[in-house]
Amino acid sequence: MTYQWQTVLGYLPQYLHAALLALRITVLAFILATVCATVAALARNSSVGMLRLVAGVYVEVIRNTPVLLQIFIVFFALPSFGLHFHAVTAGVLALGINVGAYMCEVFRAGIASVTRGQTEAAQILGLSRRQTFVFVVVPQALRNVYPATVNNLLQVLLGTSLLTAIAVPEITGVAIVINARTLLFVQVFLMALLLYLVLSNLLSLAAAVLGRVIFRPPLPIGFVGPRLPRFKRPGRPERAVVS
Amino acid sequence: MTTTTNLRDAEVDSSIRLRSVTKSFGSTEVLKKVDLDVASGEVVVLIGASGSGKSTVLRIMSGLETSDSGEVWVGSTPLHDPRRAREIRGHVGMVFQQFNLFPHLTALGNVTLALRKARKMSTSEANTVGMRSLERVGLSDKAESYPSQLSGGQQQRVAIARALAVSPRIMFFDEATSALDPELVGEVTAVMRQLADEGMTMVVVTHEMRFARRTADRVMFVDDGVIAEQGDPEQVLTNPQHPRTQQFLRKVLEA
Amino acid sequence: MNTDLIIESLPQLLHGLAVTVGLSVAAIAGSTVIGLLVATARTSKLPVISQLGRAYVEIFRGSPLPITLLFIYFGAVYYLGYSLNLFVAATVGLSLYHGAYVAEIFRSGIEAVHVGQREAAQVLGLSNSQVFFSVVLPQTRRIVMPPLVGQYISLVKDTSIAFLIGTVELMKVGQSIVDRTGQSVPIYLSVAVLYFIICYPLSVWVRRSDRKVVSQ
Repeated sequence: MTYQWQTVLGYLPQYLHAALLALRITVLAFILATVCATVAALARNSSVGMLRLVAGVYVEVIRNTPVLLQIFIVFFALPSFGLHFHAVTAGVLALGINVGAYMCEVFRAGIASVTRGQTEAAQILGLSRRQTFVFVVVPQALRNVYPATVNNLLQVLLGTSLLTAIAVPEITGVAIVINARTLLFVQVFLMALLLYLVLSNLLSLAAAVLGRVIFRPPLPIGFVGPRLPRFKRPGRPERAVVS
Repeated sequence: MTTTTNLRDAEVDSSIRLRSVTKSFGSTEVLKKVDLDVASGEVVVLIGASGSGKSTVLRIMSGLETSDSGEVWVGSTPLHDPRRAREIRGHVGMVFQQFNLFPHLTALGNVTLALRKARKMSTSEANTVGMRSLERVGLSDKAESYPSQLSGGQQQRVAIARALAVSPRIMFFDEATSALDPELVGEVTAVMRQLADEGMTMVVVTHEMRFARRTADRVMFVDDGVIAEQGDPEQVLTNPQHPRTQQFLRKVLEA
Repeated sequence: MNTDLIIESLPQLLHGLAVTVGLSVAAIAGSTVIGLLVATARTSKLPVISQLGRAYVEIFRGSPLPITLLFIYFGAVYYLGYSLNLFVAATVGLSLYHGAYVAEIFRSGIEAVHVGQREAAQVLGLSNSQVFFSVVLPQTRRIVMPPLVGQYISLVKDTSIAFLIGTVELMKVGQSIVDRTGQSVPIYLSVAVLYFIICYPLSVWVRRSDRKVVSQ
């Protein structure tokens, strides 16, 4: 083992500490994102025009401005309005609100992908609009959006890297410090890279296992993981996915 | 909501009346002043080319679409009155070309969902009724299977069982066998014939001429938004009077 | 709302915006080239090449952009000393990173063109390269455009991350004004508006074309 690697591996405790923090932030921000996305998706599909407008503005503004700017706004600008957050909290808030906007669109697509035939069948059987939504649409939408939602989770994880800009001691931030001390940038940042790869694969695996547990019939094995950008193939109608 | 529990109640006015029904989709007039009668216990088969409006007629009768004008009576319920149209929900059954089974539920789950949620039955009650329904279509051994684990014919039979579980007065079939592989069509038409024999009022849109000939009480040929010809299946299918009917049947037989 | 400050800072902000746009254009070009190369590698019949392509994609999609940028920054400093051009460094980093995503878009596009079409063309007697250029590629272009432009929009927003290595683009300009004056709200608002003006029209275009592709 080379001397450089030995030195860098000596910092393993700091790296792991940072990785755990990144993981914690990821989970918390993801939960927040899910809440935001659910509320926004319902709002955008509601019949109340004002709700649709507000949610629409939220989604469009967030998705068309950089997340780094949003992080700065939460951390530096909100204090002007009396809202002071610690860096980690600000990070969770900003990332949650940001990914929530993306997840909102995923949820809406999921709901829309449940075919009209499903709701018609439910209607004829005598189920009310609410019952149809809760017992027929949502379970299918959930299955349809699951892979994309896992992608959002990974999106949050990679987003934690930006929090180094507000001095959060997560992986990237810690790596910068260690690099300043050792000047071994190759090993230092390779180590960081490895940690991110390990974490994202761990999260994907956990999501795959969770998917098999909650969904019956089970989603096929290769269904979860970092996915290709969502592709609409020509001529293929958007329909509910049956495994 | 009244809860009917057996087929005898189907005799309770399960007739259908359409008077001067028109329907347009956008700028296309799909139904042009259609008059139609289906008597209680009758099996009516609608045939016609795609785009002729036969599916639209079916969907208006089952309440999935509303007519633009005219009167639609299903039993004593006026479907043309938007305030009362919903009353037939849960009292008629519809079997779709694409099955539309709920993929996240087992066969039994599919069949009992409406019983448990809309009819508020207890799970055990619903399961009893559900199993009976599955037995009627010969699939009681598949109660715990998911739609993805069943063949097309089996899925469609589960769909029929699901529709039957709520004890409908009338059963609608919208090209129920068109999406099936040929060798699977028979098992579904067998179930349909069984229902007809039991006295169910049925309106069937189909391309299966054999089924029409053997099981229908009346065959109606729908052409370009009107009923061009109707009558005894033997007469309409083997000896059509209307030139358009003759044209259509010739094309179908050539296929 | 300190509108005077906004008006005062406008020239600087617009200069930052120009750099952002320049960075975006350069990186779009770079990532497209890299994406094409990697996509070709991935669809290659030689296992070594396709595995290399796959590794490239996995690495750059599995790690955050800051890490890539920092690698390039410190690498450049190490080999070139402090004469490194931050604009070039940022362009290279953005191109490498987004190139991985672009590669996947191209790959999906090529595979999305119905396999049956390729087979039909082959049966008709077209050679493999004729099949690729006359049948597959034209349709790929149509399918690929919406997600590709979507990726470019992400790229434009990601130019802000070049801030972390000191590139003087819009984000850095804005932040330095905030540091100087302490007036975060009006400046951040202006910066947000400027990014929004570029990205939103593109987003609308993507949505519209996406719908057109689906309906075909």
